[in-house]
Amino acid sequence: MTIDIPFIWTAFKEIIKSLPITLILTLVPLAIGFLIGLTVALVRIYKTRFLYQAANGYVSFFRGTPIIMHIMVIYYGIPLLIDQVSSKFDLNIQTNKIPIILFVLIALSLAAGAYLSEIIRSGIISVSTGQLEAAYSVGMTKYQAMFRIVLPQALALSIPNFTNLFVGFLHTSSIAFLVSEKELTGAANIVASTNLKFLEAFIAAGIVYWGLTIMVEGISFLLEKKVTSYSRGGVS
Amino acid sequence: MGKAFDPSLIIEFIPTLFHYLGVTLQILAASIFLGLILGVAAAIPRMFKIPILNQLVILYVSFIRGTPILIQLFLVFYGLPAVLQIIKIDVSKLEAIYFVIITYAISNGAGFSEIFRGAIRAVDKGQTEAAYSVGMTSTQNFFRIVMPQALRIAFPNVANSVIGSLKDTSLAFTIGVMDMMGRGDTLISATAHALEVYISLSIIYYSVVLLFEKTLGKLEKYFNRYQKADLSAAA
Amino acid sequence: MINLKGIKKSFNKSEVLKGINLKIEKGEVVTILGPSGSGKTTLLRCLNFLEKPDGGMVQIGNIKVDTEKATKKEMLTIRKQSAMVFQHYNLFAHKTVLQNVMEGLIVAKRVKKKDARYRSELVLEKVGLKDKLHHYPSQLSGGQQQRVGIARALALNPEVILFDEPTSALDPELVGEVLSVIKTIAKEGITMVVVTHEMSFAREVSDRVLFMDGGVIVEEGTPLEIFHAPKEERTRRFLQRISGDSFFPPLKERVN
Repeated sequence: MTIDIPFIWTAFKEIIKSLPITLILTLVPLAIGFLIGLTVALVRIYKTRFLYQAANGYVSFFRGTPIIMHIMVIYYGIPLLIDQVSSKFDLNIQTNKIPIILFVLIALSLAAGAYLSEIIRSGIISVSTGQLEAAYSVGMTKYQAMFRIVLPQALALSIPNFTNLFVGFLHTSSIAFLVSEKELTGAANIVASTNLKFLEAFIAAGIVYWGLTIMVEGISFLLEKKVTSYSRGGVS
Repeated sequence: MGKAFDPSLIIEFIPTLFHYLGVTLQILAASIFLGLILGVAAAIPRMFKIPILNQLVILYVSFIRGTPILIQLFLVFYGLPAVLQIIKIDVSKLEAIYFVIITYAISNGAGFSEIFRGAIRAVDKGQTEAAYSVGMTSTQNFFRIVMPQALRIAFPNVANSVIGSLKDTSLAFTIGVMDMMGRGDTLISATAHALEVYISLSIIYYSVVLLFEKTLGKLEKYFNRYQKADLSAAA
Repeated sequence: MINLKGIKKSFNKSEVLKGINLKIEKGEVVTILGPSGSGKTTLLRCLNFLEKPDGGMVQIGNIKVDTEKATKKEMLTIRKQSAMVFQHYNLFAHKTVLQNVMEGLIVAKRVKKKDARYRSELVLEKVGLKDKLHHYPSQLSGGQQQRVGIARALALNPEVILFDEPTSALDPELVGEVLSVIKTIAKEGITMVVVTHEMSFAREVSDRVLFMDGGVIVEEGTPLEIFHAPKEERTRRFLQRISGDSFFPPLKERVN
């Protein structure tokens, strides 16, 4: 077996066409996950009754199980659930018409929510209590202090963690190919098996992911510099 | 899409799948052990800025950080035989599990090298000065003063990597390894009860992860016994 | 005993030490005063090569090193002649009080473990920490930590102990316990070089006071001379600023 280097370029051109799906599979879960994560983080910070235990359980379970499980359980579970409900009420929903990507997006969003809630929570905790006290001392309410003073600082502090998670989910989206989603890895797999050139195809896919990762990290670096400019030159 | 949901099957599947936990743990233990060695080896050229090796390690770490573990797995699975063929070593009959171990070791090694480097830099410079002030050599300082403290700093991150790696082993079945996931796959083919199989697998993975978290957490506490504040919690 | 000749040191082109000459006799207690940035801490750190001087000669005891040609081995030998007490204590965080004191004895001086332990317990008793042997530094107050730092230096039985602002990181109420320990060992005839801002301590304990500013030794003399009859304008202004006008009345008024 020799490596067909020109074919890497051929594969690259084919695989890159699937970039939009990978981006959707990365960005949508992170956006929805952010809303979930923020809510869950606040529930955990304020120890809201009843919700608190549920939030803890949710975060622990989703962080404690492989993401492929979330995808598979939702991929097989939701159709079964809908089928049962629809047959009970004669709704006549055809679950096999639901695009698979929707299941993947739901699963990844739930996973992202769990991871993001941890990041946001630790960001909030790391903002000094002095900031909160100062906010109260100028007459802010608990809500104002959180959203105007603590959260902006917490989110800025969390940029490196957000970047790691972004890259992590960019890579995790590759799992979607196992439920025959045609994102970057899925496309690479198709190119590989139709041409029987597996190594070349996966090298090409690897280059795409690597390039994307470097871009994401570069952007994050610039963003962090800009956002945390207020604390530049500090002692900490 | 499978047969009607049967919760009793979940309980029934667990022992069958649990039987294969050993394979998962084998992959984990071997890849963590090799990864630690690789991590130390990779951290050294970075810290001492050894020319060429330093750049190679930067490239290695960047590539591993830049690609999904699934792609790395495929690259090793298809690439390693091709590379080894050049030097006339035939690994085409090697079992899939070895490719998995090699991939995860390479992947963990990159992560560990960054963790070690960061931890060593995080040890207060005053510690080194104090070591010199009592007459230690730089080697004595490194092994007696800096390294023990760096290990403590690195521990929570290493523990996180171990747990992450444990979860990542769930992808080994994609190249045909018969671990828990692989067995789950055959169970699905045999019974068509996919959902139940995946729920069983989730329960097993979750239990193992919780057990690991507890154990590693206890170890961390032990390592931190001389630290007043729990610094690692903030990290 | 200690002899420095033409010690020079620059950081990023700004010259911090402009050729320091200094002789210290055995058993002498020398305090170095001066505004921040005057180079006093750098001078101290050049003595044990925590900073490597750019030029000049360092001699401690019988060991003499030309700083421009200093080898690693020579630097280590010089270092073994001295011990240091740090501003931020710098106790080994992963070792107990007793281990902190024993560490240098075992590793650098190759003392047998049993003997090291005996000696360490002895010095720890001297600094009043016999009941804290198995505590970790994080479990001690700042004053206690610094007393461990002093014990660690003392145990090595060095030619000279260097004190780098040993009380300036302490809460005011903890300063006293540390100063009294330093005073006790000063009386035992151990050679000491102390960088400090504690004027009354400097006046009480030192045999000689140096005043540094801008990388040179501006003035030196007995505490009496420096505090009550400084010759240099710079010294006078510094003392005034530090202590206020009333704290050190001129000598004449006192005599009257």
